Amino acid sequence: MIRVGDVLVSKGEGGVYGERMLDGYRVWDPYRSKLAALYLVGTGIELLPETKVLYLGAANGTTVSHVADYVEVVYAVEFAPRPMQDLLEVARRRKNVMPILADASCPEQYAPLVEKVDLLYQDVAQPDQAAIALKNCVFLKEGGSLVLMLKTRSVDIRKDPDEVFRDTLDILMSAGLTVNESTWLAPYHQDHAAIICTK
Amino acid sequence: MQSCWFGDIDGSRCMPFTGDAAAYAARVREIRTSMDNFVPLDWHMAVTCGICRDRAEYLSLLQKVCIAGSEQAVREQYAAKDVELLQMTRTLDEMDTVINLLSERVADWYQIRHPSFSRKYRRTPAHVLVKSISERNRERGSGGGALGKVAREITSLSDARTALAKEVSARACEVMPNTSALIGGLVAARLLSLAGGLKELSRLPASGIQVLGARTALFAHLRTKAPAPKHGIIFQHRRVHNAPREVRGKVARVLAGKLAIAARLDFYRGCAVPAFLDDAQERIDRAGTYGKEEGKQQ
Repeated sequence: MIRVGDVLVSKGEGGVYGERMLDGYRVWDPYRSKLAALYLVGTGIELLPETKVLYLGAANGTTVSHVADYVEVVYAVEFAPRPMQDLLEVARRRKNVMPILADASCPEQYAPLVEKVDLLYQDVAQPDQAAIALKNCVFLKEGGSLVLMLKTRSVDIRKDPDEVFRDTLDILMSAGLTVNESTWLAPYHQDHAAIICTK
Repeated sequence: MQSCWFGDIDGSRCMPFTGDAAAYAARVREIRTSMDNFVPLDWHMAVTCGICRDRAEYLSLLQKVCIAGSEQAVREQYAAKDVELLQMTRTLDEMDTVINLLSERVADWYQIRHPSFSRKYRRTPAHVLVKSISERNRERGSGGGALGKVAREITSLSDARTALAKEVSARACEVMPNTSALIGGLVAARLLSLAGGLKELSRLPASGIQVLGARTALFAHLRTKAPAPKHGIIFQHRRVHNAPREVRGKVARVLAGKLAIAARLDFYRGCAVPAFLDDAQERIDRAGTYGKEEGKQQ
């Protein structure tokens, strides 16, 4: 990952969402992007020029644009039409972003488009986040990584976030994934955790 | 045999699909993939198919297909009749809030300018006062400074609100003919906006429709021993608020029951059903009359 001093950055055309530029690089704000926060509080996963990514919950394409700066191709799945309008604008300017309007819990909707990927990144506000991740593991090659941004408050607002975190880890491990790293994203994001697994 | 966006693959053979980006996107939507023993596509097959020569060409073509497909899907979702009505209704309700807030503020401001003025015994609601301020200032020709300007802006905002209300009402009658016939276009549109869409409204139970818009009261009831709310937004309909206190809850319940059916008719059929409407109107009217009479009729 590219850093200028202590600041995480990516290399590409700026002005996507009014991000700051530093020495010609785009500053990747950890308060806006959970993946950037992960690189600052934990180790994360190295994004390489040949990496293929399936990105679930692409939203407005903020994080997608930074990921696309690093990797070969991003398959960006988003369900809601409103943020998809912004994501399409990002895709028109970045040749390696594939916008897909589909429901991440129904992988058959985009199965004809997506190839085997090295990294499955998921950031969706749904109660069954672990189940969605497991369903999408069919796109992940052997030895590939899953980065799950767990929104504990979306799973169950009444449950203790720690409990949701432990339950999710159990589900992922019992499905045969190896958990390499798991961390909370505080102070950048409240009640959000990142879980990194290998298939 | 496996179907993917660029063609059908059978072992090492490939039958390519040809057409423009939109045609590929339409094909993707029609393919039904089974996720049992699913193996993701291999892009090399696209070269075998003769769709492209190398990886760069593959990705550029795929992106065209993805963008075309997503643009089309967004367009279709926005073309649904209720999507614009939702925004119109929410704009209308927010305009109400803003106009009321500003009117009260301007009235307070006016009172500071005229220390002897009082609204007591005058029956002057803030919006009437605002109108008179704006007219008086216009006659004087001076414009009345900032106060007059703000008052005039509020008046013109009110005019825009009236026009919007008419449009909302007309659009609601078009999008949800049955619901509008029972409860009026404006309240029907508000029900739609609270539920979040026609599909969502049609899937609510009658009891849910009855208390739509009474969220605070409903949760106070669930959490404490407060009484259950009898009605939410449907109170705005004359049949509910004109009903005598004793039967108001009953009218609300019967009306909500019929509204739930009406919303389903609107979503699945999309046209007015006179037989249902006559029956429903009669039933709701009957609920509004006193219990004794009703007992005799039944």
